[in-house]
Amino acid sequence: MTRVSKKLGPRMLRTLGAVVRVVVLSIIGFAISIPFVWMVGASFKPRAEVEEAHIVPREPTLDNYPVVLDRMPDPVTGQYLGLRFGRWYFNSIFVALSVTLLQVLTSSMAAYAFARMQWRGRDTVFLLYLATMMIPGVVTMIPNFQIMVSLQFLNTYRGLIIPAAFTAFGTFLLRQFMLSIPQAMDEAAKIDGAGHWRIFWDIVMPQARPGVIALAIITMLGAYQSFFWPLIMLNQEQYYPLPVGMLALDSTYGRQTELIMAATVMNVVPLILIFIIFQKYLVKGLQLGGVKG
Amino acid sequence: MGKPVTKKSRSREALAVLGFLAPNLLGFLGFTLLPVVLSFLMAFTNWNLKPAVDLEFVGLRNFADLIGVQAIDRPAPLLSALYFGSAGVLVAGLISVLWANMADWRGTRVGGALIVALGAAVLALAVLRPRVGEDSARAISHGLVISGGIGILAGLGLATREGEGWRPGLGTLPALLLVAGAFGLWMLNGAMWGSYEPRDARFWQYFYNTAYLMIGIPFGIAGSLALALLVNNDLPLSGRAPGPLLAALLRTAAVAICVVFGVVGGTTVIGKVGLASGAGVAALCFLAALLITVRAPAERLGQIAGTLLCLLCGIVTMALVLGMGQPNVAVLGGLFWLMAAMGVAFNIVAYRTVYYLPTFTAGVALMILWKALYNPETGPINVAIETIGNALGRDWQGPEWLASVPWAKPALIIMGVWTGIGGTNMLLYLAGLSNVPTDLMDAADVDGASAWGKFRHVTWPQLGPTTFFITIMSIIGGLQGGFEQARVMTGGGPAGSTTTLSYYIYNKAFQDLDLGYAAAISWVLFAIIFVATALNWKFGRELEVSP
Repeated sequence: MTRVSKKLGPRMLRTLGAVVRVVVLSIIGFAISIPFVWMVGASFKPRAEVEEAHIVPREPTLDNYPVVLDRMPDPVTGQYLGLRFGRWYFNSIFVALSVTLLQVLTSSMAAYAFARMQWRGRDTVFLLYLATMMIPGVVTMIPNFQIMVSLQFLNTYRGLIIPAAFTAFGTFLLRQFMLSIPQAMDEAAKIDGAGHWRIFWDIVMPQARPGVIALAIITMLGAYQSFFWPLIMLNQEQYYPLPVGMLALDSTYGRQTELIMAATVMNVVPLILIFIIFQKYLVKGLQLGGVKG
Repeated sequence: MGKPVTKKSRSREALAVLGFLAPNLLGFLGFTLLPVVLSFLMAFTNWNLKPAVDLEFVGLRNFADLIGVQAIDRPAPLLSALYFGSAGVLVAGLISVLWANMADWRGTRVGGALIVALGAAVLALAVLRPRVGEDSARAISHGLVISGGIGILAGLGLATREGEGWRPGLGTLPALLLVAGAFGLWMLNGAMWGSYEPRDARFWQYFYNTAYLMIGIPFGIAGSLALALLVNNDLPLSGRAPGPLLAALLRTAAVAICVVFGVVGGTTVIGKVGLASGAGVAALCFLAALLITVRAPAERLGQIAGTLLCLLCGIVTMALVLGMGQPNVAVLGGLFWLMAAMGVAFNIVAYRTVYYLPTFTAGVALMILWKALYNPETGPINVAIETIGNALGRDWQGPEWLASVPWAKPALIIMGVWTGIGGTNMLLYLAGLSNVPTDLMDAADVDGASAWGKFRHVTWPQLGPTTFFITIMSIIGGLQGGFEQARVMTGGGPAGSTTTLSYYIYNKAFQDLDLGYAAAISWVLFAIIFVATALNWKFGRELEVSP
């Protein structure tokens, strides 16, 4: 090592190291992104080409997207698929946004109560919250289904939104975050006669914004991708969110790879957009919820 | 606390607490705590959604049905007692070995040597035993190979401890227990399963599947750590490049690209696409050349030049390979150079983003994508295997992947590693790396430590808490996992080989409508998770402190 560095000089060696690292990193990135490239390629293939090995279609077509969205008949069979993909899209986004809104609102309020208010039994109740976080989701899934049946929430948006909107995790995450915000400012506000609502809304929430955004992204992602719960709650197609709809599409038209891939692309694109927009907050939030939390 | 606390203000305070807490607390009580309590009660009933079944309290029957055994012919209580006694001795040995290691009991090294011998014997037994064609027999011998290997590794770890010599002592006892338990199980195995059978054989098979699918966890963690080390520091990219020379070079390149694509651009669509993109990049090069000469800051010049160089290389590669009639190789070559260009342009953030994408987009859609990738006839994986085989003059056939019993689990493991390797675990390791004190590193540098030495003696011990956290979370997730893959990709098959415990619970509850039994399985799963976490907590934390 030292002999090489003497011959090449430190600057040259640094450049060489950077080049090697770029090559290694690029090969790994290449391996990770191949499935995505194949997916996009296949989504633009006409059916005649879909079983062939080339990645980029010889005669690319945009038809697969309108066919999946039921705006156009299938070019080979001449029939509409009769799937309500657009509706599923709407369902997914609507449910994800509602769950996120409710979750962020109620957990930040509860987190404030746990982090900034003094009341008897506070730590006991918080311990109860923590204890349930250990219990796997499948344990609560079964009785929750029974509860939904007796509330007549099957096949409704309510049934998808409400049980997902009150997790112990959200409260836990935001409580940890609020504890790390210095208390000096709310003491001052209290002396000025501000009530809890003012302190919460004007002082604590603005400072807790990174944590709130992180929780919002994690919640939205979870709700958008949620599969188990909608699968057992729904049997009417018009309420399906995308993942369940994808399953229906796959079980009916699974052999038409080009249609499946067009649907997959449409499924993944909103996520990639969210990721690019919120990247900065996301990384911060994940580190927060992990080691430091 | 300046004002005296009056009764009125106190009650107002209580009201405020209630106002803040109530929405979340009510939801939590209704949809988390109540279900937990209900689920526990359900596990002791025959709760069934079929209207014909009356609700009854059945005590521990669900649990007995799940993990118990029944006599095939006539019961032999002594035999089963001995068998389960041996199993208990084995488990006690396992726990006390961990304990002995932690508490530095005397004689632990001798015990380690004993465990190595035991592991070797188990391994030899699994390898030498005549193969039986049945799946369950094969599954058992896989399990023996794995546990033998783990035994040898763990035993070696114990036997090479530093400090004390080769004298037997209290620490040898756990290893003796382990050997005795294993010997007992081995001796009684044939007789036991000749006269008893498990009451719910599927539960044990699915438990085995769940554990098997967790083999991917150590690979995933090691991969995440390697990636984190690779993307931890920025690339040293900024630097000067001779501006006017570079601009002239780029302008020439722009013309050259046009010429190359003019030649390659034939009648095919790919040719046209290539021509268009080539012309586009050429125009970009030209524009960049102008910009560089006019206004790029000097220290960014090298980076811009490098990016353009990578793009240029990509275009030339694609053009050349396309000219040779290999469109796929051209696309893949272009992809590599695109990655390099992105890396040079946006530095390390570009790679972090790309590595994180599979985790961020993970879900049913990606599983359906992988199902298409694994398609035995038309899927690109097998097509690639055959193509490479053809190029080498061999007749290679890809495996049947999800449709075959031996390959379905490895296929799911590969997908899992691809999804998770650059995800949350990598970010956690990055956070951990940023907390490694720099003075430790500097001290190691002064001592002239090698790169491996620095990793082994500084970075790795400092990352201990992170590794510990990731391991626990992965084990918890792995034990609960596998539902989506089974439901979307394999239907739990072939022959139940990808059914995990969570999919079994789903099937019991929502296909057989047997909610009571399903609740019992979910509590057994909880118990397994709890024990795994507790063991990790007890022994993992102690281990991470000593380097």
